[in-house]
Amino acid sequence: MWVSVLMLFTLHFVLHIGLSYGREAPDFLTLGLLIAARELSLSRAAGLGLVAGLLEDAMSLLAFGANSIAMTLVATGGSVTRDLFVGDSRLFFPAYVFAGKWTRDLIHWLAMGPEVRHPFIEQAVLEGMLGALYVAGIAIVFSIVRSSWSER
Amino acid sequence: MPSYGNGPDSGAGTRDLFLTGVTLLLAFGTTYLPQSTQERVSMLLQEGLRPFTALQGLVSEEGARRVRVEALQEELDSLSAMMSTHRAVTDENRTLRKLLDLREALGYDYRPATISRPGTPGSESTFLVNVGTEDGVRASAPVLAPAGLVGVIRESRSSNAVGIDWTHPDFRSSAMLADGSVYGMVESRRGDFREDDRLILNGIPYHQEVALGQVVLTSGLGGVFPRGIAIGTVLRIEEEEGAWRKAYVLDPAVAPGSATHVLVLVGESADSLNLSDSEGEYR
Repeated sequence: MWVSVLMLFTLHFVLHIGLSYGREAPDFLTLGLLIAARELSLSRAAGLGLVAGLLEDAMSLLAFGANSIAMTLVATGGSVTRDLFVGDSRLFFPAYVFAGKWTRDLIHWLAMGPEVRHPFIEQAVLEGMLGALYVAGIAIVFSIVRSSWSER
Repeated sequence: MPSYGNGPDSGAGTRDLFLTGVTLLLAFGTTYLPQSTQERVSMLLQEGLRPFTALQGLVSEEGARRVRVEALQEELDSLSAMMSTHRAVTDENRTLRKLLDLREALGYDYRPATISRPGTPGSESTFLVNVGTEDGVRASAPVLAPAGLVGVIRESRSSNAVGIDWTHPDFRSSAMLADGSVYGMVESRRGDFREDDRLILNGIPYHQEVALGQVVLTSGLGGVFPRGIAIGTVLRIEEEEGAWRKAYVLDPAVAPGSATHVLVLVGESADSLNLSDSEGEYR
């Protein structure tokens, strides 16, 4: 599991920083974080979220800290879901990733500050929902690949 | 597998909750750090992301190399034609300045650079250039493309620098019409959608006429941008406030996303310094 999370984190930075893809590339960092958060205690998940958020904020001159807040809260929330959902149904994982990613975008929008962010409907609703659907789709592919690997 | 069963009443659970609280406080605290500290933290973190930024630099340079040779040849031909007459004009200008006892107009030194853009959330309107303090690039250095102004450097490090383009909310430049008749301030204004971000020529006195299609240049006031860099052309009137101020929407000279190869201003030209006379004064 940790190898795949590390691969997702690396892939995210290769695509978003190395190859300069924006919204065209899925948010593998949030996906990796959401997967890891379900395996970690509350404080470790929050710590990992903070590190991931700070790395995203490294390139953010517009709203430094917004990614840190969003990722820390989402990772903490992800860890809490362990006690609420067993997560053994097929629908759970994509639904969990969808909700996590959308929440991350919503918190990021709130934390950005009014002078920097774009309108709520555009950024938090439209872009947020499409981005969450995109990552949820990737999560389905990821879970299929992972289960086929574990069957070998 | 995760360890279940640490109830909130147990010592481990309390410690976990305490550490979570501290982490959350740290996360919220990052937004309240002074800007200089944020920039230092950001620079430190970027060191950790160096392999990815290095890859970005390589990819951008490769993209810039792919520019068609024919297009470069055409540009070279037109530049040669311009330069053939430019020398005579420069010489004439120098003679006239000497006659009028005016100081020699200073030239500027530029460093060619390749621009690249991170695609992480919150990094919109910012870019990286592959030149830094080692090349003489400082914060507030203007960044130009062949068509006009791209933006300005915000932070400079040893081997690269971070800049903001004109779509950034903090971007401002004093500006004038190409004929020097009207002065104002160019700023970025957010649209309803990201694609609607506009460049606005603001602060134009109500009584002054600005014809649509006129070219807007940097005025050189404020000392950040040298005079005469193209910013855009006047597209339409944006707003009129009472009977004292007007603002116009500009068609930007440079689309920030399409700029790959740029020039970064590093200071006054060394050639111009050689023009000082024996007493060390400019003529």
